[in-house]
Amino acid sequence: MDPAIAVLLLSSLAAAASTAGILPLVRRPRVPLVAIGWAHALAAGVMLGAAFVLMTATLDRTLGRAALGALLGIAFVRFTHAASGTEDLDLGRVDETGETYGYKVLLVNALHSASEGVAIGAAVMVNLPFGVFVALSMGAHNVPEATALGAVLRARGVRLGHAAGLAVVSNVPQILMAVVAVALIQAAPVLLQWALGFSFGALVYLVLAEHLPESYRKAGHTTIALVTIVAMGIVVLIGGAGGG
Amino acid sequence: MAPWVVVGIYGLVTDLATGLGALPFAFVRTVSQRAVAVSNALAAGLMLGASFGLVAEGTAHGSWQTLLGAVAGVAFILLTQRALEGHDLAIGSLQGADARRVALMVIVMTVHSFSEGVAVGVSFGGGVTLATVITVAIAVHNIPEGLAISAVLRPRGVSVWKCAAWSVFSSLPQPLMAVPAFLFVEVFRPALPYGIGFAAGAMVFMVLVELLPEAYETERKPTVALLVSLALVGMVLFQRVLG
Repeated sequence: MDPAIAVLLLSSLAAAASTAGILPLVRRPRVPLVAIGWAHALAAGVMLGAAFVLMTATLDRTLGRAALGALLGIAFVRFTHAASGTEDLDLGRVDETGETYGYKVLLVNALHSASEGVAIGAAVMVNLPFGVFVALSMGAHNVPEATALGAVLRARGVRLGHAAGLAVVSNVPQILMAVVAVALIQAAPVLLQWALGFSFGALVYLVLAEHLPESYRKAGHTTIALVTIVAMGIVVLIGGAGGG
Repeated sequence: MAPWVVVGIYGLVTDLATGLGALPFAFVRTVSQRAVAVSNALAAGLMLGASFGLVAEGTAHGSWQTLLGAVAGVAFILLTQRALEGHDLAIGSLQGADARRVALMVIVMTVHSFSEGVAVGVSFGGGVTLATVITVAIAVHNIPEGLAISAVLRPRGVSVWKCAAWSVFSSLPQPLMAVPAFLFVEVFRPALPYGIGFAAGAMVFMVLVELLPEAYETERKPTVALLVSLALVGMVLFQRVLG
């Protein structure tokens, strides 16, 4: 299959997986804070595992490019946070119903998915099975992420269908960036190492800046650490066995 | 000189190198609450990077063995935490939570050195040239580990000399394990992925359960995220260049 078509399908699938994250909210309009903490820890673990697997795919002979790419990835997420004034935003507040908070949460989720898209695109260009693996990880990551987003939206009185729709729509940048990454790497193959490094740096930074910080207060240190490391271990195990 | 003595000396060299990690703290005077958070973030990044390198190596030997080792590593930290919580710990002038964290850090880093000692010993099976390369690699890679230990100890008032001493102590298993691993290579080689998994599991869990939450308590998220991710990328790069 042409990589452009493959990446379009895979990233769309990963974005659509968000709807599954809304399912736990069907019967519970209000989600306890502990559950939001859990959801973020799950998302963090899967993302760290994916970052690890992307790291193992970087080639040793052009390590410098991957390292520069990683710095670029970190800088990209940091800059988008700073530019949008969302550096200190808590993504799991159910008590805050201000308008500004609402659009900022959606904006952060949308920006967040752009880096995931680069990861899927780069992985597809390594080889198709690896691309499928990374896309599946991102899809799995999107599920708890959508639960956390859905919990915030539902607490603001957003209808269930709309919450599901917004969860998917906030992942549209993922599809766009995945296709763009593939197109760029096809045009200039040297960019593959850059893109792999970029995804690694960006995903690690996202975990540390968005998923982990407030989770500790919501669900406790030991719980968050355990949920994160178990989710990470599963991704690394599957990735080590079949992926990269 | 008997070959096993040479192996022991090589192990000792890697051990002493860890003490160099305390050096930067000879120049840092103020020890504020923020310094603790910043140092925790630095240590977290270095340890995550080291674990990523370890896991990449461990899964090459066997994914399931590495996983089993990692599960044991996590269980070990949980049990050590419980054991430490039961006691009124005092290390020098440190008490309570600070003393517990310092003790846990030294224990984790010491335990994780066992598999590195085995790696040095086993590598001698591939000839002295390979062993020299690996010894230099492990010695150099020990320096940021000493830095990670000192980053946790120093801001809590432990002197620079003691930071260096605890760093060297944490690597003592390297000469101690290198010699038997060299003498009984066939026995130790299959155990390597378990040991590597154990070390990585223990370090990642230590980062997630102690260092990161404490860093977030006193420092802003973007600062913690930047420090951890830069230290992580630096450590991964460092190991790949050496490896």
